[in-house]
Amino acid sequence: MHTRRSRRGLSATLAIMTFTGATVATGSAIATTEPAAGECAGTIRFGAAVSETGRYEREGKDTREGYQLWEEWVNGEYGGIKVGDECYNAEVIYYDDESDADRVANLTERLITEDEVDFLLGPYASDLTMGASAIAEQHGVIMVEGNGASEAIFERGFKNVFGVLTPGGDYTKSALEALAAAGAETVVIAYEDAAFPTSVAEGAERWAEEFGLEVLATESYPEGVTDVSAIMTNFRDLDPDVFIGGGHFNDALLFVRGAEELGFEPDAMIITVGPSNPDFVAELGDSANGVIGPTQWEREMTWEDEYFGTAEEYAARYEEAYGHEPTYQAAESTATALTLQIAIEQAGSIETDAVRQALLDLDVTTFYGPINFDDTGKNAAKPMGFIQIQDGEIRLVGPAEVADAELQYPLGE
Amino acid sequence: MTATEVQPSQGDTRARPGPRALPAAAALAVLVAALAVLPLVSSDSRLFTMTQMFMAITIASSWNLTGGFTGYVDFGHVVFFGIGAYGTGIVMNKWHWPFLPALLLGAVAAAVFAVLVGSATLRLRGPYFSIAMLGTYGAMREIVRVWKPVTGGGSGLSLPLVHNRPIFYYVTLVLLVVFLAAIWWMRRTQYGASLVAIREDEIGAEMRGINTTVTKASIFTMAGFVTGIVGGLWAYQNTFISPTIVFVEGTTIDAVMMSMLGGLGTVAGPVIGGALIFWLRDVVWARFLDYHLMVQGAVLILVVLYFPEGIVGRLSRRRGAVSLAHLWRRRRADASSPPDES
Amino acid sequence: MTRLLQATINGVMLGGFYAVVALGFSLVWGVLGVINLAHGELVMLGAYITWVMSRDYGWEPFLAAIVVAPVMFVFGYVLQRVLINRVIDKPHLTSLLVTYGLAIIIGNAVKLKYDATPRSVTTALRGFWPLGDDITVPVTKFWVLVSALVLMTSLWAFLRWTRLGASIRAASQNREAAKIVGIEIGRVYALTFALGAVLAGFAGLLASPIQPIFPLMGPVLTLKSFVIVAMAGLGRIDGVFYGGILLGLVEVYAATYVPEVGTNVGVISSFVLLVAVLVLRPQGLFRGLKAAR
Repeated sequence: MHTRRSRRGLSATLAIMTFTGATVATGSAIATTEPAAGECAGTIRFGAAVSETGRYEREGKDTREGYQLWEEWVNGEYGGIKVGDECYNAEVIYYDDESDADRVANLTERLITEDEVDFLLGPYASDLTMGASAIAEQHGVIMVEGNGASEAIFERGFKNVFGVLTPGGDYTKSALEALAAAGAETVVIAYEDAAFPTSVAEGAERWAEEFGLEVLATESYPEGVTDVSAIMTNFRDLDPDVFIGGGHFNDALLFVRGAEELGFEPDAMIITVGPSNPDFVAELGDSANGVIGPTQWEREMTWEDEYFGTAEEYAARYEEAYGHEPTYQAAESTATALTLQIAIEQAGSIETDAVRQALLDLDVTTFYGPINFDDTGKNAAKPMGFIQIQDGEIRLVGPAEVADAELQYPLGE
Repeated sequence: MTATEVQPSQGDTRARPGPRALPAAAALAVLVAALAVLPLVSSDSRLFTMTQMFMAITIASSWNLTGGFTGYVDFGHVVFFGIGAYGTGIVMNKWHWPFLPALLLGAVAAAVFAVLVGSATLRLRGPYFSIAMLGTYGAMREIVRVWKPVTGGGSGLSLPLVHNRPIFYYVTLVLLVVFLAAIWWMRRTQYGASLVAIREDEIGAEMRGINTTVTKASIFTMAGFVTGIVGGLWAYQNTFISPTIVFVEGTTIDAVMMSMLGGLGTVAGPVIGGALIFWLRDVVWARFLDYHLMVQGAVLILVVLYFPEGIVGRLSRRRGAVSLAHLWRRRRADASSPPDES
Repeated sequence: MTRLLQATINGVMLGGFYAVVALGFSLVWGVLGVINLAHGELVMLGAYITWVMSRDYGWEPFLAAIVVAPVMFVFGYVLQRVLINRVIDKPHLTSLLVTYGLAIIIGNAVKLKYDATPRSVTTALRGFWPLGDDITVPVTKFWVLVSALVLMTSLWAFLRWTRLGASIRAASQNREAAKIVGIEIGRVYALTFALGAVLAGFAGLLASPIQPIFPLMGPVLTLKSFVIVAMAGLGRIDGVFYGGILLGLVEVYAATYVPEVGTNVGVISSFVLLVAVLVLRPQGLFRGLKAAR
């Protein structure tokens, strides 16, 4: 009778075959744009693991398009990255991290050890950036990112990680400042219990105190929550002036509907992710009116640089290339690559230490906003914008220096 | 099926290596040697992939102990991984323990949890056990998230930065090999036979004098312990843990798929299934970016419906076939069955 | 006191919704013996159909039931004949894994078609009714609760008083005897599954104005259905209702009264409840109540 042992030899052989297959196999790069054929002295390689699939695929696609826009522009119109007297083409190697922590770590390492990239462009989302940045730090490769805002990324003492976006703790700063100036006195906060929203909430508590607002209550909720009626009820009973809700797009919808059905009508609603996305108005209709949302970037902002021009000009260029409006994820990705390029040019070298120093010394304004890193790698110079839905449209109401509409406070009725 | 293979009343018919054992053992030795020298020629990221594969296979093998051998299909198995990871992570982050004691603590915590939870859930049969474990997993994930002062909540915990791919590679490889050897040996003992007996007919096993409660609890605890070790190792290598990246349903499903594909209740099954799935993921499915999850779902359905014994199971059933399976033959007390020529 | 009342209202509303979600799941499990882990995805499909009707054709979401019912019926019938039929006699693990694979396929197919952006629909029946000083009754959720009751009563009536209903009940009680009596089991199974799909679809319709809908919303709902059926005991429609209400109340009370992390605790409670019921009282919590079959 054939027994289990008779499988032993066969299984050994199979195991050998499969292990061989596994070691020989390489992952597939999903898109590598060929560097423009031309007169440049060489190529600088950048690596980017972004989420083409998985829970971050929308924003991941925006991120990749942002990087690609820069890549095509720098090789084409700009004529290559200028290092000293020479120009260099930029080559970006892309992988899909499937929105997965293990994948992003693995792919980041592959980019460094197998594809031998010179620099890394960050992934989308704080939790993935945590993993990827650890790998970058371990190998001593510089990573500039624009899509991970959690403060935790910058609290690990890493030297090689730089973020161009406004960090999570400052998301509500400019909005709270404006509301306090307009007469608000009390605040309630609800946040999803994850890295980025926690940063935002902790920052909100800090800035509220700074601007003289009293925090009446703070509540958290888990990922994937389906009902916030209890939170809304508790808040309603406290009758605050300002509601701050932070999490993801899902939660934005829940909060607005929840407030509506329980008769919770604060004078201002700040929701950290959602309102600046046109889908928010599309899904909620007129329930969305009055909601305030922080935004890293809007095309109406009047930032300007000598590379992409004004924010509006950048948006036009993006639209022509991709056929749809750029989200702030796309803009911050282009800004990420642009920042790295500027640093390389200012350092006059692609040596890691020189570029790192150049990044630390950097003080520049781009179409995306001011960039000036503190020594943890955070961009402390860029104020957070905020929009408000007015009559079904997204209007930029802050920060004051670049706003083009007026903040409505308190909300009517 | 297999319960008939080991019947103490017929004399000692426990499996022993047969006359063709030597070539297969040599093949295995070659494989292990090849794996042992891989770090000398391979890039860090390749080693990283292999390490992840070893970890996945170890988890699948430990799941297989309760699921495949004993017939208790655990749908929340990743909970032990998570407890191991958090046990290790918490003491390293808060009290600055060195890694090895931390790892031990994490694994012991997972084992203790297995004892506690098992005392309640192992009394359930079939799908109820599976779902109870799923509920346990969900509860632990959220409890970890809520218990902020200890676990860091949703923001997670950082572990000290370490970077040494070869060491992790070797550690996970050695762990896997030792574990597999232990399972191989265990299967040939009375204890291993009683596991299978429980799977085939629990009431009958009880009546034959097997203490099913203790047996189930002990194998469940062992599975939890080993999975906890993997969790601790993973945490250290990843340098960061949070509820959403540690308590992931996919880890359980992978373990189930690998064991099923390779062969439930076999030693080599999770290994083959694991290696195959890893290879498929890296090479084949990566090309179908938008569809690869759907492909995995379809593969799961096909395997379950048409291939339930898995690769190893399917192959071992072929009679008279010319195959390497015949390299191993059990020597029976009563016969000299002519070995097939290969 | 008003806080308790408001929390109770919120909890009952939520629970009513959960009960509708669990209804189809309970039916399929009770009659076919199949634990359909793709149940949440069927709910999701109903939600998306509603959303498409609302967004592309401007329909009032509640009216989309006219479209949801036949589409889900056909889909469920075909699905049963093609796939589910193959797992009916197999061990439970098989049906769990096959339906799990199915869930992945359906969820990702919808994601491919409509992407992962959470969606919502706006119904004319929204806002709130004030009740006394500090209490509000949410309008949409109220109508969801009413619909839930209507559905449950209809299902009960259907099972009790129609011939097909009797066949279904017979098939669930004793398959062999049902066959002997001349009931065509295959057809009954297919119709039951289709009916379960329709119920799931309705649950999705009811979900669309009150929660964000997105392709991967299924698993959470499937798990809640599990909790409810575990509490209700198999094949008990009234049990499903009470179980749903109980779950809703537990979640909302926890969220209301536990400071700061209440909502988290509410979610934990649903898992703990599941395990506790399975371990302590596997036949369900509502055994002693009058049978309503």
